[in-house]
Amino acid sequence: MSKIYFVLILLAVSLLACSKKKDSTPSADIKIISLTTSVNPVKVFDTAVITMEAVGDNLLYTWKANHGKLKGSGKIVKYSACYSCIGLNTITCTLSNSTGAVSDTVMIRVLNE
Amino acid sequence: MSRLKEFSLLIFFLIYGSGLWAQCCTSGNPFISDAEQPALQSRILTASLTYRYSHSGPYYIGDAHFTELPFQEVAFSNYMELQVGYGATNWLTVLTELGYSINKSLVTPGVDSYKGYGLGDAALYLKFNAYSNSKLRLTISPTIGVKFPVGVFDQEVDNVQLPISVQPSSGAFRYLATIFVSKGFGKTAIAGFASYEYSQLIQSDNFYYKYGDQWIGAIYFNYRPWKSLILDFQLRNEFRGKSSRENNEIVDASGYDVVYFTPQVTYAFKHNWYLSAFGDIPLYKYYNGIQMTFGYAIAFRLTKKIDFMAIQARARARKSNQPKMEE
Repeated sequence: MSKIYFVLILLAVSLLACSKKKDSTPSADIKIISLTTSVNPVKVFDTAVITMEAVGDNLLYTWKANHGKLKGSGKIVKYSACYSCIGLNTITCTLSNSTGAVSDTVMIRVLNE
Repeated sequence: MSRLKEFSLLIFFLIYGSGLWAQCCTSGNPFISDAEQPALQSRILTASLTYRYSHSGPYYIGDAHFTELPFQEVAFSNYMELQVGYGATNWLTVLTELGYSINKSLVTPGVDSYKGYGLGDAALYLKFNAYSNSKLRLTISPTIGVKFPVGVFDQEVDNVQLPISVQPSSGAFRYLATIFVSKGFGKTAIAGFASYEYSQLIQSDNFYYKYGDQWIGAIYFNYRPWKSLILDFQLRNEFRGKSSRENNEIVDASGYDVVYFTPQVTYAFKHNWYLSAFGDIPLYKYYNGIQMTFGYAIAFRLTKKIDFMAIQARARARKSNQPKMEE
């Protein structure tokens, strides 16, 4: 039976060791022109449209928000937030292609009313 | 050999069953509310697979329905959990669990839904048989444990990160301490359970978030009308403190206090197979600020118990009963 537990612990350690890291080599070939939001601040449950303008070949747009919800893909996404996300939130857009990656952030304040 | 077949059947069910259903709406594994059990006896193994469907819906402000939202948002999840427990000694039981979200969805009419899925958290618990008196039918079993965020966090769809509420893993290490006390009277038993959980900061480059502390207190009434049928009625209070974010800012719309009623029916089949069905019905809800609240949950659990000591004893008895070969 100790063998079963040894295998379970080994499995747990292996899972803990697995983490996905994306390539974040800075690229000189990608130029960010602007990262803008249609409204700021934004009320709870209202929507802000966030647009990334950039120059580069075969760009892949990756979006993250530390609090709130993002919807869409590519250069334009919509951002909305519920009551638990009231405050100053950060939206990050990372552009990447075969030459590397470049990131920019926009801060959006979410207000109760 | 038949024991091996049964165990293989359980493993088969665990593996293929996980594809049949898929995972609501706080990140990480939900609390599986079936009746807590005392520590196992030495060399007893239990393996169980739980399927849970939960539905969250109405927004609340404090303990009242918040009706001013211009839309109706709902969240639901299909979740499975594998738990294996083993009585290492008569005073120590080692329990492990692994959660999997088949789907964890947030649906707003007119908007594409958010759907997370994948491996949730794993956990390791040490349960102690601190006091056991078979004459008085009284047991006291404290437990300590850790939940590991081994599963999927920072999940993306079309390279856009899903909101934290639908991420399958909690993303944070969590530490638990619980105590379970049970006292039997004839065909009935009364048990009490108390639990405290402390959560570390979420382990992510993108999130700075710490869940509030959680306290759970429960009282169970257990009744066994027939040998094979067990009924449990549970009243449980779950309290979670407010979360905190960057600069230790308190998230006002977080944390809650909910009282649940959880009825459970368990049927004991032959060869130590058990099937349980149970559900969570909120009797009272208080949510800080304005939050989406828990609606209901239903769950089914299949458990197999293997007593290695008994197997060994039977094997020995068989051996000693065999006629000796004449030379």
